[in-house]
Amino acid sequence: MGNKLTAASCRRFELRVLQAIAVAIAVFSVQPLAHGQQDPGRFEIRSASVDLRSGVYYLDAWVEYRLSSETRGALEAGVALTLQTEVEFLRNRRFWFDDEEASLRQSYELQYHALSERYLVVNLNSGEQNSYATLFSALNFLGRITELPLIDAALLDSDAAYDIRIRAVLSTDDIPGPLWLLAFWRRDWSLKSEWYRWPLGE
Amino acid sequence: MAAGRIKKTAITFSLIVGVLVWFAALMLFSPLAQNSEDFSRALPWILLINLVGIALLLLLIIVSVVRLIRDYRRHVPGSRLKARMMMLLVALAVTPLLIVYAFAVQFINRGIDSWFDVDVAQGLGYALELSRTALSLQMREHVGDVLNMAQQLASSNRTDIVGELGDLRRESEAVELTIFAANNQILATSSENPELTVPQPPSDEVIFQLRQRDLSVSLEPQMEEGFVSLEPQAEGGYVSLEPQLEGGYEILAAATLSPELPRAERPILQARFEVGQRISVLANLVEASYDEYTELSYLREALKTNFTVMLTIVLLITLLAAVYGAFFSARRLVVPIQQLMAGTRAVARGDFDTRLPIPARDEIGFLINSFNDMTQRLARARKQARLSQQQIEDERRKVEVILARLSAGVVSLETDLRIRTANRSAGTILGVDLEAHLGESLVQLAETNPLLSQFLSVSRSYLDRGDYEWREQIVLRDKGGRRVLMCTCTALSGEHEDPEGYIIVFDDITALLQAQRDAAWGEVARRLAHEIKNPLTPIQLSAERLRRRYLGAHYADSDLLDRATHTIIQQVEAMKEMVNAFSDYARAPDMDLSRFDLNRLIGEVAELYRHREQPLSLQLELDSKLPDVEADEGRMRQVFNNLIGNALEAMEHQTDGEISISTRHIFKEGVELVEIKVADNGPGFLDDVVDQAFEPYVTTKVKGTGLGLAIVKKLIEEHGGQISARNSTRGGAEIAILLPVMREAGDVILSATHRRDIRRERA
Repeated sequence: MGNKLTAASCRRFELRVLQAIAVAIAVFSVQPLAHGQQDPGRFEIRSASVDLRSGVYYLDAWVEYRLSSETRGALEAGVALTLQTEVEFLRNRRFWFDDEEASLRQSYELQYHALSERYLVVNLNSGEQNSYATLFSALNFLGRITELPLIDAALLDSDAAYDIRIRAVLSTDDIPGPLWLLAFWRRDWSLKSEWYRWPLGE
Repeated sequence: MAAGRIKKTAITFSLIVGVLVWFAALMLFSPLAQNSEDFSRALPWILLINLVGIALLLLLIIVSVVRLIRDYRRHVPGSRLKARMMMLLVALAVTPLLIVYAFAVQFINRGIDSWFDVDVAQGLGYALELSRTALSLQMREHVGDVLNMAQQLASSNRTDIVGELGDLRRESEAVELTIFAANNQILATSSENPELTVPQPPSDEVIFQLRQRDLSVSLEPQMEEGFVSLEPQAEGGYVSLEPQLEGGYEILAAATLSPELPRAERPILQARFEVGQRISVLANLVEASYDEYTELSYLREALKTNFTVMLTIVLLITLLAAVYGAFFSARRLVVPIQQLMAGTRAVARGDFDTRLPIPARDEIGFLINSFNDMTQRLARARKQARLSQQQIEDERRKVEVILARLSAGVVSLETDLRIRTANRSAGTILGVDLEAHLGESLVQLAETNPLLSQFLSVSRSYLDRGDYEWREQIVLRDKGGRRVLMCTCTALSGEHEDPEGYIIVFDDITALLQAQRDAAWGEVARRLAHEIKNPLTPIQLSAERLRRRYLGAHYADSDLLDRATHTIIQQVEAMKEMVNAFSDYARAPDMDLSRFDLNRLIGEVAELYRHREQPLSLQLELDSKLPDVEADEGRMRQVFNNLIGNALEAMEHQTDGEISISTRHIFKEGVELVEIKVADNGPGFLDDVVDQAFEPYVTTKVKGTGLGLAIVKKLIEEHGGQISARNSTRGGAEIAILLPVMREAGDVILSATHRRDIRRERA
């Protein structure tokens, strides 16, 4: 990496100035820059269901995680990503907003281990760690939620009607500082699925 | 004023403080910007706040620019100067800022890039590869062990599988050795610490590789993307390096048993081996370093962007603040100049009361101070000038009043003899209303006015000679008689020796001279009466005695004696008569006033003259409505006797003598008068004596004492009346008398119409 001041580096410098100005503008106008043909990534809840077994609600879900090129690049450079599954119990109320009765957040840290060339998944709630040879299998593991205990049925009002909704989110709370500004205004860092909502007890 | 200044100071102070605080905040943040997560976290918010500040500044600047452009288009005083100063200040502020910015951005980018050295990256890569190589040796060893164990188990016919597993485990130094059935059920296991851990079933990955793939992979390390790949797969076996939570590493190796069964139903032998602690620690360190380096390397682009953004924001704020500061300072500088311009315009309009606020103790403040001083002095000077003008005006008015009341005529002339000013008396004396002809040439005016032309010709004779200071008695003649004027001329001093104009002051001294002459005659008459009359009686008596004694004695010369004495007596008688007449003239007996009918008196007197040898036609035109007049009847009778006698004497040799006497009742200036005219058709007065007709011994006749008209005049004036003589247009003399009906009214008419006469009375 020579420090020669070439025409290309000058152009890069100019581009950077322009980009910097664009950043300032973009902060206002949340419109992200076009990023060529890069994968924008996608989180999607494919299916979800809740089972009541011996007084406890258990969640089974299939979430499809597809990281954006930007986040995959960060992951492979050693940046740990935090993926979260948010589950909320909503009490249905007439004439008023629904009340959030209970919520649960399952967090996983996904990290690339360069030495072993494996992807580590750490369940931040339990501290359990698994390693996978490929990103695909790691994400596949993350996407398979089986028998996740949610809440004791006794805690819910049996007369009220509830909805459950879940979504998957790439949390940007723990990403390295320098990326924060990017994450603040770039869409490929704000990965989240739509809420998947269904009534409880059907 | 004071409140405004305080407010202004407060605004300036708060602005300065605000900018300082903002800079301090930036400075505080800047060291954090190196590494701190907190700063990066705060960055978006800092940016947002700064962007708000930028937007505010932009708004202020736009407002200022719009205002400046509007002022510029409207040609508001000072706007051009302001615009020029603005541009200069902005150029001065912006250029260095932009240069510094350009260099700073480039330094940041190249500085950050230079932190990440290719050699370091490569070195770390090699270290990582070395670790992998070291680990892969162990892994190959262990997978070989597992394959061997699988073969031993297959060939063994021991029923005690668990015991054999334990043996094999101890032999191979594995931590845990487990056989799983196809359904992941544990068939047999042996562990170093069986009470601590439950054997984990093989992962999908292991099962997938062992059961579903035909493995024909060599144990040689694979080269992938320049690095050794850690996938040393053995034929029929599986091996992987598992990083542990505690930081150590574990090698997981697996192989299938019972090759006689279909691949999917074969049990799996899974072994876990511990990696030596030293190698673990070193591998961990290498891993951590590599990880950190790649992460930092990845983050540098973002870091550069952050710095550039930060720098740009700081630049923008500084730039905009500089531009606004330029506006602010330009305005502050221009405001006093604008005030000064407005003040100058006000002074030009004549408003000297303009006082400008003094902005500061600098040069402009000094200038404004001088300006205030100047306007103050101007105002004072103008006030003084007005006062003087007022005084001059007052003086002029006073002079005008004096001139108007003055009996002397005052005329001021331009050098080309145009009338500048003239008072009323001047007009009265010269018989022209000069006040109505101000600005006109005296020469032109004189063409139609004989009195004025005579006056002018005398004046010009001096002025044309260049003699501006003179004094002269002028005699003017016209049909009304003779007027004697005393003229004094003075030049109005001009800037140089040439006069600016002339002032001619003249006084009608005709009456004065007349009065002097009358007084002199009165004195002569009195002396004559006194001195001559006394010796006359003895002369006469002596002559009579001579006659009585010697006339009868028949001398030879008695005839001569008779003639001589007769002549003496006769001449003495005549002299006596004359002396008596003089005595009458000089004497002023008391008036015997009574009211009587003047017409009757005239009739009586006229009757006396009707029957004379001289052929005469006497015509009376008497006003029947004539009121009784208050006068001395005897004197009035003498007046008419004298007048008629005078006329008769004048017409002595005429056969068609005609005398007409008329009376008229008139009012003049509110005074009731009787006008009496006595006219004849005789030869009239000679032109040069017509104005001296009433002086003693002015006569054109052969006979008479020459005192007749003089006495008439004296008598009429004793009654407060006026008398004038002229030659009538038909030929012959005409005497006109104005007699007041009431004696007291005589003074009024005298004072009202002929002030000259008053002077004479006083004289």
